[in-house]
Amino acid sequence: MTENKHIYQAMFLLDNQEVRKSYAEARDWIRTTLEKHGAEVSVLRLWAERELAYPIEGKRRATYLLGWISATGQAVNEAKREMYLLGPAFRVLFLRADEIPQEELEIGIQDLAEGELVIPEDIPEVEEEEVFAEDLAPPVEEKAAEENSSEMAKKDDSEEAAPAEQEVKTDEDQTPQEETSNV
Amino acid sequence: MYDNAEPEIVGPPKGEFDYKDVEGFERYLDAHGRLYSRKRTGLDAQGQRRLKKAVKYARFLALVPYGA
Repeated sequence: MTENKHIYQAMFLLDNQEVRKSYAEARDWIRTTLEKHGAEVSVLRLWAERELAYPIEGKRRATYLLGWISATGQAVNEAKREMYLLGPAFRVLFLRADEIPQEELEIGIQDLAEGELVIPEDIPEVEEEEVFAEDLAPPVEEKAAEENSSEMAKKDDSEEAAPAEQEVKTDEDQTPQEETSNV
Repeated sequence: MYDNAEPEIVGPPKGEFDYKDVEGFERYLDAHGRLYSRKRTGLDAQGQRRLKKAVKYARFLALVPYGA
C-alpha cells in the first residue's frame, strides 16, 4: 500500500551546545535524517534562539529550526522517532499544512553568515541548599561563650553605675540635714 | 461575595491563530498561562478551538508555560 505525501510544517528545538559547535552540522543532521526516511525538505531555516518558558532536560535556552517538508505519515513518524533517540533535536513538532508559503520557499535551506546567530552562555542552574534547624541555631559552645560575655558586660555596667548612685545618695543625704540645720 | 461585574472581552484576533505568534494570543492567557473562557475572550466556538490548539502547540514547544 502506498501512502500519499503531504505537506508538513516542522519545528525542531535544538540543543544550544550542539548549535554552538556548528549550526550547519546540526541543520544538516536534521535534513539528512528527514531525507533518509523519504521526506523531501523544501525549507529549513533558523526561526529563533530564545529562552524556554520552562526548562526541558535542564536546558533553559534553545535554537528553533523551522522546516517545510513533504512526506508520508510513516516517514514523519520514523524520522521523529530517530530524532528523539539521536542528534541535536530534543523536541520536534510536525503539523499538516495545505501549502508552503511563497516567502518561505524563497528562503529554502538557510545558511547563516558568521555572527548572525549569537547564542548567549547558558545560565547554570543554582541548586537551593537545604537549611536545617541545627544550622540556624548556634552551637552550644558559642552559646555558653555568649552568655559569659553578656554576664561580664552586665557586671561591668553594675560596677560603673554603683559609684554614681552612691554620689547621688550622698547628695540626697546631705540636703535634708542641711535643711534641718537651717530650721 | 461573588464579583458580578461583566468580564472584560478581549475580542477576536486580527488573523488566524499561529502557535509561533506568541504575542498574538498572549492576551487570551492570564498571568499563569491559562486560557480565558469564551465568555471572556469573546470568540466563537471555532475561534476558541483554534486558539486552544495554538496555545497547546506553543506550550509543547516551550514558547508559553503550561501554567501554575
